[in-house]
Amino acid sequence: MKRWLPLLAAVLLAACTGKTTMVEELPDIYPDYIGVTIPAGIAPLNFNLPEGYDRVFVRVTGSNGGEIKTRGRLAAFPIRKWHRLTRQNAGGTLHFTVLGRKDGEWTQWRDFILYVSDLPLDDYGVTYRKIAPGYTTYSTIGIYQRDIHTFKEEPIIESTLTPGQCMNCHTANATDPAQFLFHLRGGHGATLIQQDSRREWVTTKTDSTLGNVAYCYWHPGGRWFAGSINPVRQCFWTGDQRTIEVFDLASDLVIVDMQDHSLIVDPRLTREDYLESSPAFTPDGKTLYFCQAKAYEVPRHVDSVRYDLMRVPFDPETGALGEIETVIPASSDSLSVSFPRPSYDGRWLMYNQADFGVFPISHKEADLWLMDLSTGEKRPIDEVNSPFSESFHNWSSSSRWFLFSSRREDGLYVQIYIASIDEDGHCTKPFVLPQKNPRKLYHGTLYSYNAPDFTKSRVDFDTRGVYREVFSDERVQATVKP
Amino acid sequence: MNRLHRILTSSLLGAAVFAFWMWLFPQDLSYQEQNQLFLFTWDYLGQRLALPGGPADWLSEFLVQFFYYRAAGALILALLAVLLQRLVWRAARPSHKADKPSFYVLSCIPSLLMLVYQGDVEVLVSYPVALILSVALCPAMTRARWHRLWLIPLGWWLAGPVILVPVLLSCIRGRSWQDLLMLGYTALVFFAGYRLLAAQYPARDAFFGLNYYRLVESLPVLQIVIPAVTLLTILLCGLGIRLRNPLVPGIVTFLLLILGTGFGVRMTFDKDVHETLAYDWLIRHERYADVIARAEKYQPHNPVSACSVNFCLFMNGQLEQRLTQFYQCGTEGLVLPSIRDNLSDITSAEILWMMGMPNITLQYIFDVQESIQNGRKSGRFMSRIAECNIVNGWYDRAERYLDILSHSLFYRKWALGRKAMIQDESLVAADPVYSYIRSVRFQDDFVTFYDGLDLMMAILYNQNKNNFMAAQYYTVWQRLKQTEAGQ
Repeated sequence: MKRWLPLLAAVLLAACTGKTTMVEELPDIYPDYIGVTIPAGIAPLNFNLPEGYDRVFVRVTGSNGGEIKTRGRLAAFPIRKWHRLTRQNAGGTLHFTVLGRKDGEWTQWRDFILYVSDLPLDDYGVTYRKIAPGYTTYSTIGIYQRDIHTFKEEPIIESTLTPGQCMNCHTANATDPAQFLFHLRGGHGATLIQQDSRREWVTTKTDSTLGNVAYCYWHPGGRWFAGSINPVRQCFWTGDQRTIEVFDLASDLVIVDMQDHSLIVDPRLTREDYLESSPAFTPDGKTLYFCQAKAYEVPRHVDSVRYDLMRVPFDPETGALGEIETVIPASSDSLSVSFPRPSYDGRWLMYNQADFGVFPISHKEADLWLMDLSTGEKRPIDEVNSPFSESFHNWSSSSRWFLFSSRREDGLYVQIYIASIDEDGHCTKPFVLPQKNPRKLYHGTLYSYNAPDFTKSRVDFDTRGVYREVFSDERVQATVKP
Repeated sequence: MNRLHRILTSSLLGAAVFAFWMWLFPQDLSYQEQNQLFLFTWDYLGQRLALPGGPADWLSEFLVQFFYYRAAGALILALLAVLLQRLVWRAARPSHKADKPSFYVLSCIPSLLMLVYQGDVEVLVSYPVALILSVALCPAMTRARWHRLWLIPLGWWLAGPVILVPVLLSCIRGRSWQDLLMLGYTALVFFAGYRLLAAQYPARDAFFGLNYYRLVESLPVLQIVIPAVTLLTILLCGLGIRLRNPLVPGIVTFLLLILGTGFGVRMTFDKDVHETLAYDWLIRHERYADVIARAEKYQPHNPVSACSVNFCLFMNGQLEQRLTQFYQCGTEGLVLPSIRDNLSDITSAEILWMMGMPNITLQYIFDVQESIQNGRKSGRFMSRIAECNIVNGWYDRAERYLDILSHSLFYRKWALGRKAMIQDESLVAADPVYSYIRSVRFQDDFVTFYDGLDLMMAILYNQNKNNFMAAQYYTVWQRLKQTEAGQ
């Protein structure tokens, strides 16, 4: 077969060049991968041409050598060859020549390049929740993991297994799936905590707290996790710029000690006149970041709720909290900060900034911001922000890559984007999580890719017994630390 | 019983089932159709085939899309009933000759029992389809002997757990140690298949059928009884009872079956549910006067029915005059609050849409679609979601829904038309419905909540005095509020 390949290629090229029109514009590829920076070994960046193009021919050549050619209905690259090419060109560029056929006529666009970073992204993949981007009801939800080096996606848990229970975000400890948790809302709600394949279902609601913890963050030592308790509600806008507003009726922050399933309930973090949310520990485990806002009557004054970024010293030995300090007084500028995420190397803090509220996903103006923790300088990450909402960001285990979700596709459906950051804090143009057939998957899905995070290795979760455990209501009851 | 009698019996069964759905309960057909969206795509096929019983499910959804036309729906259900009856008879035949006298009429039992069961509107057509596939496998399974080793997993994948009907039949007829072994093998297949294909479902659901019933966490008794009765019927028909004059007992049995079915239908068909479904079906087809006529004879006392009848009164220009002649339950009977099910809010969404509240319509109708408990989508609801996005000028989002609908059979033409429309803003602006909604909708952006709905109606009317619907609903809302306060 191999001896016929040059002949086939010659025939194909002859067919292409016979009636090819050269144009100066860049090709309108979907997704927009032009000029993005990728890690070596990522899944192939397959792409589609606009509707009407029934054939595509692509040649990719590396600045450090190597070449791939592909043709078909979309540009789909063989995984092994793609990995070989990207690894060979780490630190270099890939040069794309694209030809498309429409109505029997071939067009060749201006070539474009794509950068292959020399910063490795060795994590296994990403985890995310797939959920209809809607209102108050969801028929099916699931938490999934995706190998970012291939196209393999598999469910960790789907709502079909626990009917009637809504699932919150999967939270691993600094991308390590050996220790993770997620919360089930509903009649049989509980927080599932899995540590080294041993799982337990914990009720964190006590007489002294508002309810179960929902949005959590692990302490790097693994003994503690911080969680916000927030009864979430929705209200709706009448105009044609936005539809939904998500808000907390009330919101408190607690810290859970996994040694004895006890809660630290600090009165400063459970005040009725203030809302606390979005906890995150620094990698040294000595500081807890969170967001705090003055409470207003909601939903009537929902657009007055604005969160500041706060931090408080934390003693990992005793769980004692120090003096609370305001880091970013965003509310004084009529802005609101949410989801602080310190990088695991302790260098940066990424967060969301919007006009108000704590759910930036429904705010078109919500952007990602970066704070240099050594200097306190902060700036919007213009390299990755778009006119639509960016939110739910997280760092790779090496802290040299980050992911976030964005609604830039159509203003509603959320996709996952990945970008790198160098030592000086410069970020690269992000690329959307590659798919085998991107247009078919992203345009045809009715799900958003919600609350993504990197996972260092494959999440091991056995669904056997989960149904019985959920509906048996056998729970470890958390208590309040005296 | 001769050939003519058999043809007559089967024809009578088919005609009765056809008439039942065509004239007595056509609303059920509409309900089934609007709770699924069959797509002609490989992905859709792949999703269905990935589960045990998936092929039967896919086949049934293919059939149910034709319920868009009630005659087609009634015909399909009639043909399925006759097919099941004929296959039951065929499965019974190996033990006796076809022309010998026997109770042919007994082979109607599973089909009639299925009709009774389908009085529960949440029973999916994939259940009779799966049973038909299983019964069709009976002769092959009985003859197969060791070939059952591959027939059983194949059958389980095709039809789901009702494959036990042919497996048990072959074992009962075989009565050997191999058959006992085969039962153990079947249990093994069920368990291995569950772990392989359905690990994201509770074991109980996988073992009793994933796609037979729309509601999760429910297992109706008839779902277990019908396969058992089917098996017994096959065995009974297979006895080949010889009677000198089969006509009289045949007629008696026939009459008993009719009586039994009638009794069963009365027991399982919830009158209020079917009446509420009828209102929805008639409103979908803009037959407002028919809703009022039905309500004059009998009206269920629930908010959904009140909302539907009030809406039809408004559409016929009789809302204020005849309000008190029908059941009322306060302001909820005008527009319902958001309710998490796949039926209650449909009419409310229609009212809010016509009044000029596309965002709340979007919320209601989105939630209605997401409340379809088996996770299916709906052509009817998705069309309205696309329209709400068009009115808001969110064409990228609308295009996603329109592209999905373009893969269906009966929504394709509409979707392609709308997709062409959103490429040109002037076409959208020229559309009478969309331009009207845009002209009466809120000019300001503010947060809404159900308790303030009457104020929002007032705002709409003050904004645009042509919004007669907002004005009238506001007036009636105040009237009902006063009545409530006075009680």
